[in-house]
Amino acid sequence: MEFASLQDLCLLLISSAIRRCICSERLCRLSVLLQRSPASDPPLVRISISDTGLGSCIEEFQNLKCPVEGILAETWNGIVYVRTTNICDKEISCYQLNLKENVTTRKPILLPSNIKHGVKFSGTEVCLSVSESIDVLLEEFNCFFQKILVLKVPNIAMEVMADGQDVPGSRNDAVFLEKFSPSSSFAASTLDHLKFGLESYVLRHGSSLACDSCFPNRDNLRSGGGMVCEDKHKTTKLVVEAAVVTTEISNPTNNCFRAGCSNTKVLCFKDFAPCSISEALLKALTGIDWKRYGLALECAIDQRSHALLKWEHMPLSFHIHIVVHCYDKHVFEAMPLLQKTRFDKKLIRKAVKLALDDFKNKHAGVLLSADTLKVSACSRRNQEQLLKLASIFHLQISKFAPDLAKSIAGLVLYSSDMDFKEECLAILGLQPHQSEGEIVGENIKNKIISAIEVNDRRQQGTKEVAPLLFEGRHELQFVDDECDEDGLDPMDL
Amino acid sequence: MAGNLGRSERIDIMRKIRELTRSMIVELSNGSSKMIAIDRFKNYCINSIENCCCRFNLSEGKEILTLQRESHVRRLDVLLRVLLIIQQLLRENRHSSKRDIYYMHPSVFTDQSVVDRAINDICILLQCSRHNLNVVSVGNGLVMGWLRFAEAGRRSDCIKKPNSAHSIPVQVEEVTDIASPANYILVVEKESVFQRLANDHFCSRNRCIVISGRGYPDVPTRRFLRLLVDVLALPAFCLVDCDPYGFDILTTYRFGSMQMAYDAKYLRIPQLHWLGAFASDSDTYNLPQQCLIPLTLEDKRRTEALLLRCYLRREVPHWRLELESMLQRGVKFEIEALSVHNISFLSEEYLPSKIESELTKGK
Repeated sequence: MEFASLQDLCLLLISSAIRRCICSERLCRLSVLLQRSPASDPPLVRISISDTGLGSCIEEFQNLKCPVEGILAETWNGIVYVRTTNICDKEISCYQLNLKENVTTRKPILLPSNIKHGVKFSGTEVCLSVSESIDVLLEEFNCFFQKILVLKVPNIAMEVMADGQDVPGSRNDAVFLEKFSPSSSFAASTLDHLKFGLESYVLRHGSSLACDSCFPNRDNLRSGGGMVCEDKHKTTKLVVEAAVVTTEISNPTNNCFRAGCSNTKVLCFKDFAPCSISEALLKALTGIDWKRYGLALECAIDQRSHALLKWEHMPLSFHIHIVVHCYDKHVFEAMPLLQKTRFDKKLIRKAVKLALDDFKNKHAGVLLSADTLKVSACSRRNQEQLLKLASIFHLQISKFAPDLAKSIAGLVLYSSDMDFKEECLAILGLQPHQSEGEIVGENIKNKIISAIEVNDRRQQGTKEVAPLLFEGRHELQFVDDECDEDGLDPMDL
Repeated sequence: MAGNLGRSERIDIMRKIRELTRSMIVELSNGSSKMIAIDRFKNYCINSIENCCCRFNLSEGKEILTLQRESHVRRLDVLLRVLLIIQQLLRENRHSSKRDIYYMHPSVFTDQSVVDRAINDICILLQCSRHNLNVVSVGNGLVMGWLRFAEAGRRSDCIKKPNSAHSIPVQVEEVTDIASPANYILVVEKESVFQRLANDHFCSRNRCIVISGRGYPDVPTRRFLRLLVDVLALPAFCLVDCDPYGFDILTTYRFGSMQMAYDAKYLRIPQLHWLGAFASDSDTYNLPQQCLIPLTLEDKRRTEALLLRCYLRREVPHWRLELESMLQRGVKFEIEALSVHNISFLSEEYLPSKIESELTKGK
């Protein structure tokens, strides 16, 4: 696995540490300690990334490829020190590797082991020294962990510590272990944690502090999740998880969101670490039929650390947040990640669609398809949504349901056949005395809205079959027969 | 579907409206969003004869209107509004024009064609013709010649002035007592040609009936022509411009239109003969080059599309040859171009010779 920068290397090391912690199925700690070495010239910062997960194997570091040129070549000598032990080991193994050496000829230098004195524990510490500002590193690690928290890995407490050498004795700590909600537990799926993590991220607006003014609690948030996996090898599955959270703000002009911005930031993770945006992700996002969810995508832009989805005419009060996580899952045993997980466009698209469908199932009346929204305009709940989303569709809010209901009610009530009237009222569940136009119309209207909502959700699981057998020729069919009246040209048929 | 609209037919249509309404209510009560299924008809395809599966009068599939698609719901909204109006017309036994219906909800209907489409849908759903719904359209067609008939008890006698234009009756189903000593019926595409023939006293010199739909023929014109052909059993000839528009008008008379394919069996005139103008007429009648207009790219595209229609291969392959000839020559011309040598050339030479030739062929 190649890494091009110090950030990439640190992300790989943190990603590996998280995997080892998850595989241990115990409560673990992941620590990053930044220490300045005052004796060195130029001054170096020692980065220690340690975890109490399963012990590591040498292959995890043996195959890491470092570029021989570039800024990393100047700031780091390529040496990593590794100390690791498994729970049953009697000692802690220590070795050093020079990652700037050729991978095939690279050999670890074994260092003296440390005796565990019968204490049972496991874990790994990887250290490296770099010529870099401690403040810059601290900021970057903080940023990493803010994002990693979206994954809400349940059994890991994460911390970042930095010795403030400028002020002797001072120490900057950033502890990222969060209090979990009652619903959060070890037993919950990684997808549930991802949804919960995205909600927390949205509440904090991506920073470390929750914002009470925008979202007093999670009740203002709605979420949905989707997961797909594909067998990669006999022992490995490629898993893609996606979560969607929507927020509604009552006063869009007075909140932490940037004024005039309704774009969606799509966070992307690979193997439990934030990753840069790939072409596959962008294609997957642009390939989704967003209209099914009442959204009109203008474009998807690669912003390196995230993808930005720009919507057409999205109301400022409505925001959608999306996260995608791709990782290799080892089925039978905890195995080190030796190859980078690939992005799969189809799986990503499927996972995001499943998340959107799950969202629609859980939250009736939200993210309805553009067609459905316009049809069911009379529902109060939908009208509220329409008020928020109406401008998306370039169309005035059309009150189809009441009009349809009025016409059908008219066909019943204006009929001179009394038996027919009574029969229709009975089918509608009305008594003969409830034959006023308003009552019948309201009843039919509610049935129309109900049918729309139920079938909108039902359609999500199945590919919509065009009900028209001659779809392609359909539009050609209905020009008035007497075209001269309409100024239409029948030769266009 | 066609026929005199009597009380029993009206009651039958109202019964079908009730059945349709009941089925929609049942669907909604079951939580289904599938509202109605409309049979689809077509009167031609563009497949080869071997692969052609066109079946006149038979549905080619169903179109299901659901509440899940905006385009369907818009269409349903219009359809139900029009159906409600029709229910009222039938109950009160009153008639209304398509235009009247349009003006009842102009903001919803947005365009006359939207109402026309809804009326077509309703005709298919109720398995009837437009006039069965008490919906009439303003007649656009003209007739003159050796013809006498009564419309709703009112007599029309064209024979008294055989060269004067009469409007084609709107309620064709109420036309009775048709009588004519004519030898044939001549259908002309354009009003200008109709007037030329009137000015030349064509019907005084030739015992015939002349009809014009003034462009694309409306339903009353086609139904009236069909009625005359059926009742009088006369040969019918058609004269159109030598261009793709003229040819398409010719096919509308003979085969019906795609939009009203569901009613084609009552509207088409299978016996109609194409009299001209053929591309070869420009040589036969020595039309000067300046009367010939080069086909535009659009003309060529339309002609090529016409050539693909299955009914031409199946029923009138010789028409295709004329059409291909026009395409090869790359020129078109109007009927009026025949007046280049003499203003009465059309009525005195062209038509008599053509008709005599056709009548001789028929013998």
